[in-house]
Amino acid sequence: MSDRFTAALGRKVVSRTSAEELGELARLIVDVKRRQVTSLVVGKGRKAVVVDWAQVTGFGPDAVMVADEGALHQPRDDHEHDAADGKLELLGKRVLSDMGNELGEAGDVVFDPASGAVETLVVGEREVPAASLLGAGSFAVVVKAPAE
Amino acid sequence: MKLLVSGSAIRGLPVVTIDGGEDVAEVRDVIYQPEAGRVVGLTLNKRGFLAGRRSEVLPAETIQAIGRDAVMVADERSLVPPDDAPGEVGAPPSGRDVIGNEVLTEAGASLGRVKDVIVLVGSNGEVVGYEVETPSGGTAYIPLPSQLAVSGSALVVPEATQDFVEDDLVGLGAAVDEFRRRLGI
Repeated sequence: MSDRFTAALGRKVVSRTSAEELGELARLIVDVKRRQVTSLVVGKGRKAVVVDWAQVTGFGPDAVMVADEGALHQPRDDHEHDAADGKLELLGKRVLSDMGNELGEAGDVVFDPASGAVETLVVGEREVPAASLLGAGSFAVVVKAPAE
Repeated sequence: MKLLVSGSAIRGLPVVTIDGGEDVAEVRDVIYQPEAGRVVGLTLNKRGFLAGRRSEVLPAETIQAIGRDAVMVADERSLVPPDDAPGEVGAPPSGRDVIGNEVLTEAGASLGRVKDVIVLVGSNGEVVGYEVETPSGGTAYIPLPSQLAVSGSALVVPEATQDFVEDDLVGLGAAVDEFRRRLGI
């Protein structure tokens, strides 16, 4: 079963060991070239912490399970600070084709909650398959031009 | 049916890397080579609020596509110092600006004066026509063959061009293929 970023945001993040709620899922960070969710950001603003995807023991429909509180860490490097600050946010980002035409904004990402593999990028009415993702940065997500 | 964009509309477009999704520059000006009927490169400005000129240029062969919304390049290495660019891009000959030139048919009729070049969207700088100011003061669009004679003050186009003068870019987009087919090129 696929999951969606817009559905997953706000889901509680729970420790499997203590059953305690550790926070709310605020962002999912994607490595566009690997087409993979690489980490999660829990909480917003200065309280934002990071969970590596490998530390997620179960990405369920009602909660995101991690082993324990130790899975959450403060941003450690520039990449993680950018992630926590929302600079790597895909949702809402401009989507350009490699032919230089704007397709719209990234509205949602469909992914496999078991593996973190990105399946499609939703841009308006259009579903861009993960294989068409070429790159992403502060300005835009670049995708292979769809056949028109 | 071809999607077209005028040279002046290309100015100011962001130059975006496909690899990194970053806007590394924006288009300052279009370097057009009339003999070749194509854009051979772009000069650049920096992006951002206090944008100044960027010394690097973008040769057409490193452009992936000139689109409606952005000029796409593989990565930032596509932008090269003028000394490393082909001569017509790094040091374009002066006095070869086609803007203002009179367009004459082979039979000697004036179709007007060139106001702008029209570029094929999605190409790396193929020019398919000109926007001209007609002798009566209006605006018209004419298709170009892939090659034509240029003198520096005037250019001579095939007689058949007269049959393909269009009022707008959409019309020109539809006319280009048929025009070139008629010329057998």
